[in-house]
Amino acid sequence: MAYRRLAILGIVLVLASPAVLAHKLKLFAQTEGNWIRGRVYFVGGSAAAGTHIEVRDAEGRLLAELTPDTEGRFGYRMQSATTEYQLIASTGDGHRVAQRLTPNPLLADPAQTHAMDPSETASGANPLDPASLMLIEQTLARQTQPLAERLNALEDRILLQDILGGIGYILGLTGFALWWRCRRPQS
Amino acid sequence: MAHIPDGVLAAPTLILGGMMTAGLVVVALRRLTDERLPAAAVLTSAFFVASLIHLPLGPSSVHPLLNGLMGLILGWTAVPAILVALGLQAAFFGFGGLWTLGINTLNMALPALLCSWVFAPWLTKAEGARAWLIGFAAGLSAVLLTGLLVALTLAFNGEPFQPAARLIALLYAPLALVEGILTAIIVGFIQRVAPELLLKETKADGL
Repeated sequence: MAYRRLAILGIVLVLASPAVLAHKLKLFAQTEGNWIRGRVYFVGGSAAAGTHIEVRDAEGRLLAELTPDTEGRFGYRMQSATTEYQLIASTGDGHRVAQRLTPNPLLADPAQTHAMDPSETASGANPLDPASLMLIEQTLARQTQPLAERLNALEDRILLQDILGGIGYILGLTGFALWWRCRRPQS
Repeated sequence: MAHIPDGVLAAPTLILGGMMTAGLVVVALRRLTDERLPAAAVLTSAFFVASLIHLPLGPSSVHPLLNGLMGLILGWTAVPAILVALGLQAAFFGFGGLWTLGINTLNMALPALLCSWVFAPWLTKAEGARAWLIGFAAGLSAVLLTGLLVALTLAFNGEPFQPAARLIALLYAPLALVEGILTAIIVGFIQRVAPELLLKETKADGL
């Protein structure tokens, strides 16, 4: 009887959880022309405005320290021709997330890319100069950013299945423990 | 928050945390009684889901822990219960991490054990009306203690202690209050509908 009541209490507690939201810190960033733009937020969507973001190059040298705005957005203008950036966001109380970012090599150094691409130099038909290429890249990035962000958010969303699955595991483990303890005296 | 993700802590902390948690789990499993298991399952589920109740607070966000309640009702069994819940949270929600499982469990299980040690005997003596008060004290102190342990863990790993500790104190103080009230309500409720749950604890396997 007592356990049935406790079970009811447990179910009430579970149902009382108002929103399927959580507190894992997420970082989303992508290059947009020669800018890195991104957003830090907690899973569930609320902005992590008080975060501290470090921009480092591939070797881990500190390039810049950023503070996001109230919506958690930040931007960094890439200066060096580094091929890889590391973004590390932390809230100072143990939340931390890192992301590696590789800017489009075409933009990083157009001359080099062209030299490495024999077909292009051979045909000589390259109607796009680097400036318009950058413009296309920038426009494209701006247009796909919301889409990519939403996709990212969707991926993190905690689904009811996860919750039910977890509770199922807990009940299963308990059942297993009870079974194990019941069979021991007999063997 | 209490779920420290992978990549923040250095290896010695992880290993030490893992070893201490393993030790506690072994002790707890030795003391495990069959009657405690269903209650443990329900509380583990509640703990597992409670991490999804998200309260945005300043630069971070917090959620109820319920480790005080677990300690009060489960005693030693709280240790494997918290371990299982944290493991599942890491697997399903990505909170915390596999490598930090040991230290995270320790940070939440130690306050639970302390609550069981300090407050559970009082619960036996308490008359109906006072049980909720003990629940409040247990919920409050368990959260504050967890905050302290998390701050210490971070301090051991290069995060400057003072700002981290101040931030955590700032975050945990309101959470502790909420948690205290929540635990008080639950304990009061259990006291009314199933007082034997609270009484049996201290007789069977108090610390």
